[in-house]
Formats: sequence, structure tokens, C-alpha cells
Amino acid sequence: MDIAGALSFDHLKFLAAGFKVTLYIAFISIILSFIIGVVFGTLRYAKIPFLSKVVAVIVETIRNLPLLLIIFFTYFALPEVGLKLSPSTAAIAALTVFESAMLAEIVRSGLNSIDKGQKEAARSSGLTYIQTLWTVVMPQALRRMVPPIVSQFISLLKDTSLCVVIALPEFMHNAQIIYAQNINYIFPIFAVVVFMYFIVNYCLSLIARRLENRQA
Amino acid sequence: MFKSKTSKIAGVLLLSASMLLSACGKGGDKETSGSAKNALEQIKSKDKIVIGVKYDTRLFGLKNPSTGEVEGFDIDISKELAKDLVGDAKKVEFKEVTSKTRIPMLNNGDIDAIVATMTISEERKKEADFSDVYFDAGQSLLVKKGSPIKGLEDLKKGTKVLAVKGSTSAINISQKAPDTTVLEFENYTEAFTALKAGKGDALTTDDSILYGMVDQDSNYELVGGTFTDEPYGIAVKKGNEELVDAINSALKKMKENGKYDEIHKKWIRSN
Repeated sequence: MDIAGALSFDHLKFLAAGFKVTLYIAFISIILSFIIGVVFGTLRYAKIPFLSKVVAVIVETIRNLPLLLIIFFTYFALPEVGLKLSPSTAAIAALTVFESAMLAEIVRSGLNSIDKGQKEAARSSGLTYIQTLWTVVMPQALRRMVPPIVSQFISLLKDTSLCVVIALPEFMHNAQIIYAQNINYIFPIFAVVVFMYFIVNYCLSLIARRLENRQA
Repeated sequence: MFKSKTSKIAGVLLLSASMLLSACGKGGDKETSGSAKNALEQIKSKDKIVIGVKYDTRLFGLKNPSTGEVEGFDIDISKELAKDLVGDAKKVEFKEVTSKTRIPMLNNGDIDAIVATMTISEERKKEADFSDVYFDAGQSLLVKKGSPIKGLEDLKKGTKVLAVKGSTSAINISQKAPDTTVLEFENYTEAFTALKAGKGDALTTDDSILYGMVDQDSNYELVGGTFTDEPYGIAVKKGNEELVDAINSALKKMKENGKYDEIHKKWIRSN
């Protein structure tokens, strides 16, 4: 083990560059998948003829595929049909597709958990269906969804490390290059990697817990 | 680095919707990208060559975190190639490839050539065109000093051999020692770490790479000599004879003017 050599300033800088990519990819994917997830989840909940069925098929298909396969698909298969993506765009596309499907299910079950009586009361007081969803069901459901949504974001952040297979220069990838210099670096580098992932994800859990307590 | 990526992503989402339409566009696509609009001239007109190299393989292509540069035998050979093809050793752009991504990247046009410890094999010749051999490696075994394994014949039932995914050495070892169990890892560092952790009895790959490992830890040694011939070649997209010819003549020049020997001596230890 060579702690001083492994944790030299240059290596830490290189790791930080990788971590920035990880955070960037995760951040964009979180925003995009949250929007798509809410839209898809609501569409499936609303039971619109045909459209909801189509959304259900898409969501169920994606949810039952491994993320690694989707990453390979966006990077290796899409170019076959003329759509070439850089590793970072392919990573964002794959993570967004996969996490949107997961979030859609969280949103749908959150909406389902709101008592039917609320909806009926809102409708009978003259609100339209959209107004009912937007002002009565959604705000209550969103609050209940916060913990599972945040834990989904945490797994998204961790899942970015899978993109190492398409040589995305993210956190794990840069860690691997550092310990490829010298096998004795492996333990200290892993310690740093563990620490960084833990800090960010633990902060996310703390935020989730705070939000959860507020509604109780 | 990521400028305007967001707009790109929006484009991606739109494009995926229009993917259904791509069936009709496909024929046209092939004509422009796949045709031999002389790859050599393309390289010359954009005044740089894009080469796929490894970023994680000691001695051949390893990124140095301090300088941000990739270093190794493959890198120096690539620079010499650029000097010959576009007139300047600096006019080369490196892109990271792995054993799995290199052929798709070549076919997508992301890179012009692969210089990434790639063994020329009949199977691969169907997917890409190869230059002459630029490095002669041979597969060997790495074991801990004092190991009962002295060569290929000691790989019996119950011994575990570590190899790297997507490499020819993994296929070779299961043919030469069919009784042994082969465990495959993502890259050489992981395979070596696994050997050190006692996850296997021997590690197999090209001797040149194994020497790099002995450099890091002298408790390990090579045994049994080499038992295969692993000629490394430079791969280009299929049907680019002019580019292959140009690469071959560049290689020949390197060997004649002593540059090749210089690079070989700088990186490769042999005994």
C-alpha cells in the first residue's frame, strides 16, 4: 500500500475531475428523468384510453431491462441507425430512459395512494379533472413520494459508474486509471471513492429525511 | 467540455422519436458514410488523425493523471504515424477505447485507426482491415514466485486462470488448457489485483503486458515461455486499402530509420 503516492495532489485533482463528470451526468439525468417520470406516471394513472396503455407498455418494458443493456444500446446500437452519441450524451440518454421508467412507477403509486374520496369531493365541487389532479391530488401525492424518489436519485448517482463500460471519464473510470499506474494505489484510492460516494448520497438521504419529517 | 450538451440531449429525445422513420433513411446513410471516399484523403483534409488507444494498460497506453497525457508504446507509434501521414507528430487526437468498444467506434467513424494492443486474428479481419504487424507479443503465464505452476502443462482441472474479457488470450487459454477454469476481468489491473488477492493461480495475457506487472511487484514471475504468437496490428475500417498502405509504409520507415527500435527499447523489457 502506498498512501502518500496514491493520494498525491495530481491524483486527487484527477479524481475530482471524474467526480465532476459523475455529478454533472447525474444532475442532468435527474432533472430530465424527473420531468419525464412525472408525465409518464400521471398519464398511466389517468387511464386515458389507448395512451395510458402505450405508456404502461413502455414503462414496464424499460423497467424490466438491466441498465447496462440500455447503456450499451444507446452507445453501440443507435449508431447503426445513424444516431451517433458521445459517451456523455449516451450515458445521459440511457440513465434518463431507465430512471424515467422507475420514477413513473413511483409517481403512479404515489397518486394511487391518495384517497379516492378526495378526488370525488374535488370533482363534485366543480373542479375539472386536470384541476383536481393539479391542485388536490398531485401536491399531496408528491409529498408522499419524496422518500422513494430521493432513494431513486441516489441509485441513479451510483448507477453512473456503470458508464465506465463506454469509457465515460467519470469517477470510477478515473479511479481505475490511477490504480492502473501502480497496483499499490488500489486501497487508498478505493477509500477515497467510497468516502466521496457516501458523502454525497448521505446528504441526499438527510434531505429526504428532513422533507419526510416536515410532512409528518 | 459539456457546452450545449443540454440542447443536444433535447435533440436526442426528439431523434429517438423519429427513429421509426430511420428505416427509410438507412439506405442513403450507408452510401455516404460507408463508401470508400478515400479515408486517407479525409485524414489529410481534416489535417489530423484520430486514433483509438487504451488509457489503462501499462507500457502500451496509460493515462498519466498528473499531466493528462496518455503514454506508452502504442502512443509513440501513433505519433510517428501522424508525423508520416499528416506531417506533424502533434496532429494526432487520442480517444479512449477498450477491447469492447474499439471495433464499434471504428465502424461508427469516431476514430480513424486503432492502435490498442490489438492482435490480428482471422475473426477480426472480417470486421476491420489490419496493417502489417507492428509488435510481436506472445501469450505467457504470470504466477507468484514459488508457485507449483511451471508452464501450460500444469494447468489442470481445478486450477484457476485469470484473463481479460474480449481478449484473444482468454479464448486461447481455454483451448490450450481445456480443463482449467478461466475467470475473466474487465481490465489488466483488475486481473492482476485478483491474482494478488489469491482469486486465481495464474494470470495469462501477452508477455509484454505481464512484464509491466512484474515491474510493479517483483514477487511475481513469468513461467513456461510463450505459447502463442500474438501479432499486434493497426486496424482501420474495412475497405480502406490506401490507408492501410500508407500505414504500412510509415511502419516500414520507422523500422528503417531506427525510430521503431528507439520506441521499443523505451517501453518494452524483454528477457
